[in-house]
Formats: sequence, structure tokens, C-alpha cells
Amino acid sequence: MDALDPVLARACGAAVAVVLLTGAWQKLRDLAVFEASVDLYRLLPDSLVPLFARAFPVLEALAGAALLFESTRAIGLLLSVAVLGVATAGVVFNLLRGHTEIDCGCGGAEGHTTLSWALPARNTLLLLIAVLGGQDGSGRDLMWIDYLSVAGGTLALFGLYATANQLMANHPRLIQLRN
Amino acid sequence: MTEALMISNVLLWIAVLAALVGLFALARQIGVLYERVAPMGALMMDTGPKVGEPSPVFELPNLVGNTRVTIGRPGDKSTLLFFLSPTCPVCKKLLPILRSVNNTEKDWLRVVLTSDGEQPEHLAFYEKADLKEFPYLLSSEPGMAYRVAKLPYAVLLNEQGRIVAKGLVNSREQLESLFTAKELGVASVQEFIDHQHA
Repeated sequence: MDALDPVLARACGAAVAVVLLTGAWQKLRDLAVFEASVDLYRLLPDSLVPLFARAFPVLEALAGAALLFESTRAIGLLLSVAVLGVATAGVVFNLLRGHTEIDCGCGGAEGHTTLSWALPARNTLLLLIAVLGGQDGSGRDLMWIDYLSVAGGTLALFGLYATANQLMANHPRLIQLRN
Repeated sequence: MTEALMISNVLLWIAVLAALVGLFALARQIGVLYERVAPMGALMMDTGPKVGEPSPVFELPNLVGNTRVTIGRPGDKSTLLFFLSPTCPVCKKLLPILRSVNNTEKDWLRVVLTSDGEQPEHLAFYEKADLKEFPYLLSSEPGMAYRVAKLPYAVLLNEQGRIVAKGLVNSREQLESLFTAKELGVASVQEFIDHQHA
């Protein structure tokens, strides 16, 4: 198989890194709210909730930062897969037992997203993009316009992610309106 | 030829990103719109009883025990009516703050929690969060009377049962601003600033 073009790999990697870093920042900014969200998932014993609520955003930030640099890219990919996997598992577990009326805890205090299958779908897509971003890519020489493509691609992916999140936050309200 | 392609590429990136910013803004505005039209199909930003008006009167059973709690009648203490839900993380964050307020301000203030929904869920929440020190009302009446659309929401009533301040409360500062409003005799910090300028 041909190696991935470096422009695609770097844009995907940077986009996932930005997603993880902003996610971590939003959680750390209002830690008490994230801790309450973790508690509402009802998956961990009470004594572990504060520890998890602190460790998770830190690991998320580390994963994001590590994805950005060539020397730490492999660790970054591993951490990203772990962080996204844990978050998705928590959501799926609660979806399966029908405990969906809780805040997903993904967007800090502003987020009112309740749990739905859209969340695992979004995370699976993020995982795929993270795997693409974790590749080294072919050794093609980059020129200035490639950097423009990387920057544009990163911002475009992040914009799509933010829009998707907003639409997910809108959805419960739309359902309420229909009834 | 290459130069033309590069320029068109740059222009297209700008267009794509601008379109995405627009898309995101639209999604946000749709969210705000949904919120404002729900659930009665009419704009209801700040409806319900106004600051200065007497509060609607309720007499409701406490979640635990056989006591009844009266809201809105003249009494010897002011009342902070706090609307919350077991599934709202911000409400949970504010519980320790409410506890400390309940302790330090107990000479003049009574804190009453209120929510609606299924009793077992609320009993579990009551036990787990250890809310024994607060009266806890489980009824949709206060929420409907005050037109509470978003949580956590708080209403401060004075000793005469009149509304002195109310609003969405996301932090300790916002909670304290209700008390400040009572002390200053103004409905909100905004009104206070307006008075100073007048």
C-alpha cells in the first residue's frame, strides 16, 4: 500500500490534536462540573470519580500535544485511541442500559448534549482520523502551498466537528418541540 | 498556469472556511431558537412573576418525612428557592456552595430545593448527595409558576413573600448577586449600574 500523503496525515493529526486539547481545556476549566458528569455516568465507585475526572482531561491534553510532534506521534496515537476508546465505552454502556438523560460531559459547562448513538459515531470517525494522523506519510518534499492545505484542512475538520457538536446539542430540544 | 491554480486554491480555502464559520453560526442560532420557542410555541424569555411582585403561594409535601413546606407566605425568614435536577452537573457543582450559604446565612435565610420527576430517582439523589439539611420539594408546580426553562435556577423571596431577585445561576458569584440585589433593593446588577448612571 502506498504511504499516505503527508498533507493528509498532518491535517488529520493536527485536527484531532486541536479537538483533544480544546476538550481537555473545557473540562479542566470547570472541573467540578466534569466531575459531576463523570459521577452521573454511574460507572465508577464514588471514591474513584475525583481521580478519574482529573486524570482523564490531563491524558486527553497529553494525547493531543503528543500527536503534534514527530518524535512523540506514536505515543500520541496510542493515547488518543485509549482516551477516545474509554469515553466511547462509557457512552455506549449507558446507551445500552437506557441511561441517556444525562449530560455527556463532553463540552464543559455550555454543553447540554444528552447521550445518543451520534456520540459513538462521532468518536469512531475521530478515531479513524486519529489513525490517519498518526501515520508518518510518504517522504514527499513539502512546499508552501502544502502548509496552507494543512492549515486549511485542520481548521475545516475542526469547524465540522464544532458544527456537529452544536447540532447534537440542539437535537434534544428539537425532539422536545416535536412533541 | 501553476500560479493560477495556486491562487484559486487559496481562494477556495478561504471560501470553505468562511462557509464553515457560517454553518457553525447557523447551527448555534438554531439552538437558541429551539430554546426560545420551547415548549409553548411562544417567546418566553423572562415571563413568570416579576421582581417586586408577591410570589405565588405553594404548600407542598417535603420529599422525606410528613412535613409540609410553605412558599410565598410572609414569615420570619427570606426564602431561596433553588430549582435543580439530579441529572444536571452544574446543579451538583453548586450543592456545596448552597450548603455553605445555608450555614452562614441561616439567621435570615431558608434554602429550599425543588425539582420535578420520578420519586425513586430523587430519593436516591437525596440520599447520595446528603441533602437532609434542606427541605426538598418534588412538584412541577413551582417550576411552572416561575416559568423555569433552564437549570439551575434560583428565586429569592423576602420575609413578606415578595420576589426580590431571580435568575439562572451557574456559579457562586451569580448566587451571591441575588443576595446583593436584595441588600441594595435592586432587581439585578444591571439595574444597579443603570441607576448609578442615571
